[in-house]
Amino acid sequence: MKYLPYIVKHLRKTWLRTLSTVLAMALCIFLISALQTLLQAFYGGLDTASTERLVTRNRVSLVFPLPVAYESRLAALPGVKRVAKSNWFQGVRGSDGDMRDFFPNFAVEAEPYLAMYPEFGLTEDEKQRFFQDMRGCIIGPDLAEKYGWKVGSTIQLESTIPPYRIGRPFEFIVSAVYRVDEQKYPNHSKQLMLFHWKYLHEATQQNAAVGTYVVQIANPDQAAAVAKTIDRAFENSDAETKTETEGQFVKGFIEMIGDLALILNSIGLAVAFTILAVSANTMGMSIRERRREIAVLKTLGFSSALVLALVLGEALVIGLVGGGLGIGLASLVLANAADMPGLNGFGISLNLMPSMMAAMLGLSGLIGLVAGMAPAVSAYRSSITTMLRQV
Amino acid sequence: MTAVDVQNVRKIYKRDSQDIVVLDGLSLQVPQGEFVALMGPSGSGKTTLLNLIAGIDRPTSGKVVVAGTDLGTLSEGQLAKWRSRSVGFIFQFYNLIPVLTALENVELPLLLTRLSRKERRERALTALRVVGLADRGKHYPRQLSGGQEQRVAIARAIVADPAVLVADEPTGDLDARSAEEILNLMQTLNSEFKKTIVMVTHDPRAASRAHVERHLEKGVLAASVERHEAVPAGVAP
Repeated sequence: MKYLPYIVKHLRKTWLRTLSTVLAMALCIFLISALQTLLQAFYGGLDTASTERLVTRNRVSLVFPLPVAYESRLAALPGVKRVAKSNWFQGVRGSDGDMRDFFPNFAVEAEPYLAMYPEFGLTEDEKQRFFQDMRGCIIGPDLAEKYGWKVGSTIQLESTIPPYRIGRPFEFIVSAVYRVDEQKYPNHSKQLMLFHWKYLHEATQQNAAVGTYVVQIANPDQAAAVAKTIDRAFENSDAETKTETEGQFVKGFIEMIGDLALILNSIGLAVAFTILAVSANTMGMSIRERRREIAVLKTLGFSSALVLALVLGEALVIGLVGGGLGIGLASLVLANAADMPGLNGFGISLNLMPSMMAAMLGLSGLIGLVAGMAPAVSAYRSSITTMLRQV
Repeated sequence: MTAVDVQNVRKIYKRDSQDIVVLDGLSLQVPQGEFVALMGPSGSGKTTLLNLIAGIDRPTSGKVVVAGTDLGTLSEGQLAKWRSRSVGFIFQFYNLIPVLTALENVELPLLLTRLSRKERRERALTALRVVGLADRGKHYPRQLSGGQEQRVAIARAIVADPAVLVADEPTGDLDARSAEEILNLMQTLNSEFKKTIVMVTHDPRAASRAHVERHLEKGVLAASVERHEAVPAGVAP
């Protein structure tokens, strides 16, 4: 610690260079933090996806529906405990289809659906109120807070999916605001809206078929076998099925955008490498300018190892300060990013977790150290007389 | 007692494929408390000899014993530690650290000790007092004149209380008046604080302040001028 003022004074002397390197590092850590948090938010659901829930959809594409009649056949298959219809409604507020105000909303077969989704924290009274009101809906706490909705509030949504468009908005009454046990279900969205599938079906003059069937199975160990049984049951029909675990389904849904993990990780890696090169160049420049000073330190009795540590210390300070700034910036931006157009439809919560902050701080320190390594080793190796002669 | 004992030292530098002999079997003994001036033309090996005595370079062959330590037996780490305790180096161009104040520059060698911050500050201030710059502790090198910078550099060289001081042209970058002040200071360090001083200089006036003048020619000691008393300040040789 007694060398810290010495390190800080050097960094302050070339403040413009230090500041630009710190800002570059901050930008790097901000980008990587944001990308990794986004990735974690998208893929986080996979970790908590129930292993006892399967999703059955049309084999051709999620865009094509499945017949209503499949439900009873599914329920009769061995290993199946419960079946619920679920349709992605894609309803938006207002009639201009402005997606900036979008939040995820689903038409579900309420009773079996909620029975297999304990993630939606509701009392029995709240459930009953929802079940008994055909226009009822349940909403997440974030939606309630954002729009000021409460039980009894009226919501009007108009779908952007052609079969669900009826020439006027659907009207819903809030039956309950669900709660999320963050200990048990840390990745469960607080921005969802569920309403009755039957309401959708009837309002569309029975045009709405079934988007997906959520199937609860009796034994999670039998998931693969049950999925195969389901798909085999509908082989050679007009609407063949593809059944997968909820985790696989979510992953497949995300990867409709592309291999998100590969894309985001590649961007992060490229940014980190660029900043590493910039920082290494800056550190190298700084040490080259101070060769005489390093010679003097060594003459005074500073060992080569101590000189190496001082140079690395400077690099570490730049890394950590930049990293800290980047983390702060990322926390600030991510806190408001979930509502940004393009992200609001996923119903994800973008919070920079403490573990991510620690990892990013570690990464920034590591980038600093690696950037400082070459100049530090050069300072370590240089002989006093050579350095004094050169300058 | 001998403070500096250089025995049959050779120093050869390699430049491309050529061997350049800088010191050729040189021997030099400096008794404790003596003030020696090394003189000679450029390229005669004065600075190389000084570097060997200060432990910042190693001879190709021969032995260098300073303050009772055979420097050839020390590892790089041990040699660094030895330098911090046993020798003070005064450069021609002062070589103060520009981002540190005068007091912090003087304190620098003490960072290598176990002294507390308060003790380090007190000792650094004492050293600055010795060189007459106690009131300039908070000044940065750029705020000092050349003579004052060199005095701060001398304070830095003596702050760890080394037995031997080596000075490489300490007045080479100074005007006559400042040079005079520095030489007075070095004489005081020698006479009152009993420091053994080995000084490289081109300046006969500076050399006249030493007890002994040794002349180097092409890597060997050529001649010696000894005085019982150094020439006092203000008296030209």
